[in-house]
Amino acid sequence: MKLKKNFDGLDFLQNNLVPLMFIIICAVCIPLSGFSASYLINEIVTRMGRNIFLILSLLIPIMAGMGLNFGMTLGAMAGQVALIFVTDWQIWGIPGVVLAMILSVPVSVLLGLLCGKLMNMAKGREMILGYMMNYFVTGLYQLVVLYFMASIIPIRHASIRLPRGFGIRTTVNLANMRQCLDNEFAILYKGVKIPVLNFIIIGVMCLIIIWFRRTKLGQDMRAVGQDMEVAQAAGINVDRTRIISIIISTVFAGFGQIIYLQNIGNFPTYTAHSQIGMFCIAALLVGGASVEKASIGNVFLGVILFHTMFIVAPRAGVAITGDAMIGEYFRVFVSYGVITLALVMYEIKKRRARSQGGELLAQAQRARREGGAQS
Amino acid sequence: MKGKTLVIRLAVLAAVIAVAAVMMVIGRGHTIYLDNKTIEDYQGQEYKSFERVVVTVDGEEAAKLNKRERGMATCMGQSFTMTLEITEKKGDEPRTEVVTVDLPYSVDGIVINLPALLAGLPEDAWYSEFVPQVQEEDEEPLPGEGDAFGLEGDMGLEGDMGLEGDLGV
Repeated sequence: MKLKKNFDGLDFLQNNLVPLMFIIICAVCIPLSGFSASYLINEIVTRMGRNIFLILSLLIPIMAGMGLNFGMTLGAMAGQVALIFVTDWQIWGIPGVVLAMILSVPVSVLLGLLCGKLMNMAKGREMILGYMMNYFVTGLYQLVVLYFMASIIPIRHASIRLPRGFGIRTTVNLANMRQCLDNEFAILYKGVKIPVLNFIIIGVMCLIIIWFRRTKLGQDMRAVGQDMEVAQAAGINVDRTRIISIIISTVFAGFGQIIYLQNIGNFPTYTAHSQIGMFCIAALLVGGASVEKASIGNVFLGVILFHTMFIVAPRAGVAITGDAMIGEYFRVFVSYGVITLALVMYEIKKRRARSQGGELLAQAQRARREGGAQS
Repeated sequence: MKGKTLVIRLAVLAAVIAVAAVMMVIGRGHTIYLDNKTIEDYQGQEYKSFERVVVTVDGEEAAKLNKRERGMATCMGQSFTMTLEITEKKGDEPRTEVVTVDLPYSVDGIVINLPALLAGLPEDAWYSEFVPQVQEEDEEPLPGEGDAFGLEGDMGLEGDMGLEGDLGV
């Protein structure tokens, strides 16, 4: 029989500090913003449909003990490359989205493989490596998109080509696939548009994650995430498992970026991916996840809280200070602040656990010594 | 076991490629320009424009064309079906026709001359490719061009740094 643990308020507060803080911020800002309930719900529902898939792609590397995958931006770049081709080939609507997803897979797999291999060389430093990989691969992406496309890689349409004849324009227009997923089977209820197909896709993705956790590979990832040495001793190929987790995350991030951009309807070719990792990670952390533990519930709660703050902060800023920019600064400050807080808390927890482990070991040695002296 | 796995993987790959191919065909978008203009001399004969044509595509009105007017519709896939409500001459009762046109895969913009199409003329009489005019454009600022650190211009040092006038002297 499972014994119910006593409720520890301090422990609960410590574990849920970030979501609680955001609930308070939202509770204060929502009335100040003056938005109607239907407008606010409509905005949140739209952003849920747009962002959740991207954030779900972060769960698998956390399961494998690789922390927050800042390298998800690589997948986003793969998605963008695929969208450029699909736009050039004039494939519209849902077939365009599906084709872009298929085309993004080989690029994502390749980048994920590269990222995973490098992360295996820098175990314990995966997050900073993923973050730096963004900059490296962004350079590579710019080289390909700015110089190789329409010179080496054929691009037919002048509408996406730079006037100089090669390279892609600074903005790619996705008007022919804009909100094609959002509008399919959409339900309008009291001024709130529910993008049913998006939620079906998200639901399927959630089921895949739940199913994946129970597979042999999923169990291996959890074992690797808990203790790499023990997992290695148990016969699990740790390096391979970690690489697979990063590849899966990168592929899903590519899909997520395509879903995200089809909702927006255009994308800045050279910068669309740059902040996506940061905001997704911030949203996940706002939902109560940590560097070593995250669930689907954290994703949903995080998107709701983080984006509620995104929507209401500028108007609340106007109400409080008379300047919308204050709200804008506030939300950027909070995004980065929450990541910093999560990383600091993770490090503190790790050190505390290490020192507790050391104390236990010292106690055991002392007891053994005393036992030996008595005998 | 290894052989079976390989077969399954190849089958999945083939299925994905097949899906991609299907998407390329069913998702190919075309812009169709519909002209209600007189063809003055096709093999010595004139085909006059209609008084009025209402074009409906997928149940939605795409264009309402008077004489010498051009309308536009978009379509995905390799065939385009439209319902035309044609008024030949002023005062005539409009008649309805459903017309299906096969679209070539490689062409983005297609111009269809409705009087020639409805007169049953061969394709070269009613079909032409729409070629957009290329406009001279200014160069767009690209990433990495100019001062990479955002320190363009005078870095805020231009002018007299507030030391105008007589410097309080």
